[in-house]
Amino acid sequence: MTRLNSNQVIALLLAVVSVGYLAMAWQIPAFPLPRPIDSDLFPKVLGFMLLGLSVLLFLEKPQAQDVPEELDPEEQQLPLLLRPWTRVVITALALAAYALLLVPVGFVLTSVALVFGLAAYYGYRRHWINFATALGVVLGLYLTMTRIMGVYLPTGVLPI
Amino acid sequence: MEAFNNLMYGFGIALEPINILYVFAGVFAGTVIGMLPGLGPISALALMIPLTFGMEPSSGLILMAGVYYGAIFGGSTSSILLNAPGVAGTVATSFDGYPLAKQGQAGKALAIAAYASFIGGTVSIIFLMLVAPLLGRVAVSFGPAEYFSLMVLGLTAVVSLSDKSLVKGLIAAVVGVMISIMGIDLQTGTERFTFGTAHLLDGIEFLVVALGIFALAEVFYMLLKGGGGKEQPRNAIGSLKLSKQEIRQIAPPVGRSSILGFFTGVLPGAGATIGSFLGYSMEKRLAKDGDTFGKGNIKGVAAPESANNAACTGSFVPLLTLGVPGSGSTAVLLGALLVMGVSPGPAMLVDRPDVFWGVVASMYLGNIFLLVLNLPLIPLIAKILDLPRPLLLALILIFCMIGVYGMSFSVFDLLLLLGFGLLGLGMRLFGFPAAPLILALILGDIMEESMRRALQISGGDWSIFIDKPISMWLLIIAALSLVLPLAKKVMVKARG
Repeated sequence: MTRLNSNQVIALLLAVVSVGYLAMAWQIPAFPLPRPIDSDLFPKVLGFMLLGLSVLLFLEKPQAQDVPEELDPEEQQLPLLLRPWTRVVITALALAAYALLLVPVGFVLTSVALVFGLAAYYGYRRHWINFATALGVVLGLYLTMTRIMGVYLPTGVLPI
Repeated sequence: MEAFNNLMYGFGIALEPINILYVFAGVFAGTVIGMLPGLGPISALALMIPLTFGMEPSSGLILMAGVYYGAIFGGSTSSILLNAPGVAGTVATSFDGYPLAKQGQAGKALAIAAYASFIGGTVSIIFLMLVAPLLGRVAVSFGPAEYFSLMVLGLTAVVSLSDKSLVKGLIAAVVGVMISIMGIDLQTGTERFTFGTAHLLDGIEFLVVALGIFALAEVFYMLLKGGGGKEQPRNAIGSLKLSKQEIRQIAPPVGRSSILGFFTGVLPGAGATIGSFLGYSMEKRLAKDGDTFGKGNIKGVAAPESANNAACTGSFVPLLTLGVPGSGSTAVLLGALLVMGVSPGPAMLVDRPDVFWGVVASMYLGNIFLLVLNLPLIPLIAKILDLPRPLLLALILIFCMIGVYGMSFSVFDLLLLLGFGLLGLGMRLFGFPAAPLILALILGDIMEESMRRALQISGGDWSIFIDKPISMWLLIIAALSLVLPLAKKVMVKARG
């Protein structure tokens, strides 16, 4: 069996999404009063367009720009925790943790931890400068937003 | 005379101390963010939107406009010093700017870029003042059918002029429209695609998508490409002085490219990037020493730099007079205006002259600030390029997160931001252009509303879109913008 290329895999995924989208579009309830077009028409048109475009994408041969470039082989030899894709995954997890801890722990602590932790993880070794920058920027942002712009930010465990 | 009076009125607003501060803050932030390789004007604009919360619309737009043209202005610095354009619109500048820097003439290239940008920006503001009110008068007669067709043209133009696959561009646009219509349908009160969660009843905020697809995705991409610690050595700046002969040499290209750039910027889909390439290739053809382009010809720096800044200002014409952005950057600007409660369009010139003329006048001021920032202060500002990359990436992440949280106070939106960041990374890796998605996101629900209003007027008769001549021609041009690149491809294949 021939292996699917990247465009074909994405096209199949998009086709599934468009079918699901169309199924949801058909469930949009009709407005009680008759109108030239109702809330469901536009989504149905979009769903069919995406389906049609998925078919075209399936038939389109991927160009060089449609395929991810090879990653630096030197970076691939690094310990697992420092490899390029691991960096992306860990950053994503750190951001998810930040989102979940922001309210209970507070803006200042979580933000300083995020900036300091990620910069150190990405390879910045001057820890004092890192900490001072993280604290300075975060406090600056906090004071600007809360005191000048009147935007509430969660204080969490700190009494500020 | 009327334009002069209006401009004086605009200066009355732009010269308020707080607005002078906003102009400076905008162009400074734009210069710095535009300078950083990878972060383009869209990221710069999206990152700055949270600062406009609660601002007067005229002040907010003055700030955001400053960020936009400041980013285009500043993008040339990294093009010249690092051969790593901070902004797509300054790629053409690197063709001759970087060779000049390698020859020890980086200062000269930076000075030419600054003068050319200043003149391009200033000339185009004069055109903006003259053309925008005229177009605004024409646009007053536009009904919903014409608006719908205009938005279709805006989308197809952005898709067809992107350097990526046409099909992928269209997919990005369709997905953008799909995201834009999520939430409660304001015309019928019906819930659409909310997945039963109250978080999606108001739809998805455009800032969440813009920051995710552009800024966050860019950080992820840099992490994949070794952004952890590798720093690129930059060329020394050297003298910024230009001789009289050099000034005489660059004057004609700057004049020509400024005009060309402005009109390129007015066209939907063709922004600073296309403007700069057109300016560069025009001068290469016209020059007697065209064969030295690409090897450090000063005209090869002057032409794209004046064109890209002029195009940037030109792109304000459709945004402010028609309320329809012609590019991803102006789409984000429109989003920022909508957040501030202002709907640009022909009525804005009458209803909110403070916003229109205030921002036009502020551009003169901003260009002067930029000249100061990019000439005597450039050796100082260029030190930003030495900022450790790991720290910079971590700071961009926190700006994204706080930008979203400060707007919606929603943890759900932070998680959505993360999702869009990963989606943006996937789009980037597999060659999907992001600009059509963001433009469609902004235009999607307005498009649907225009379409429904047009059909309500016609009693459901779809021929309204071709019965009205302006609407019909806009749709024909939209169709051609998609068909012509395909036809060209087929012809090239047939020949080759």
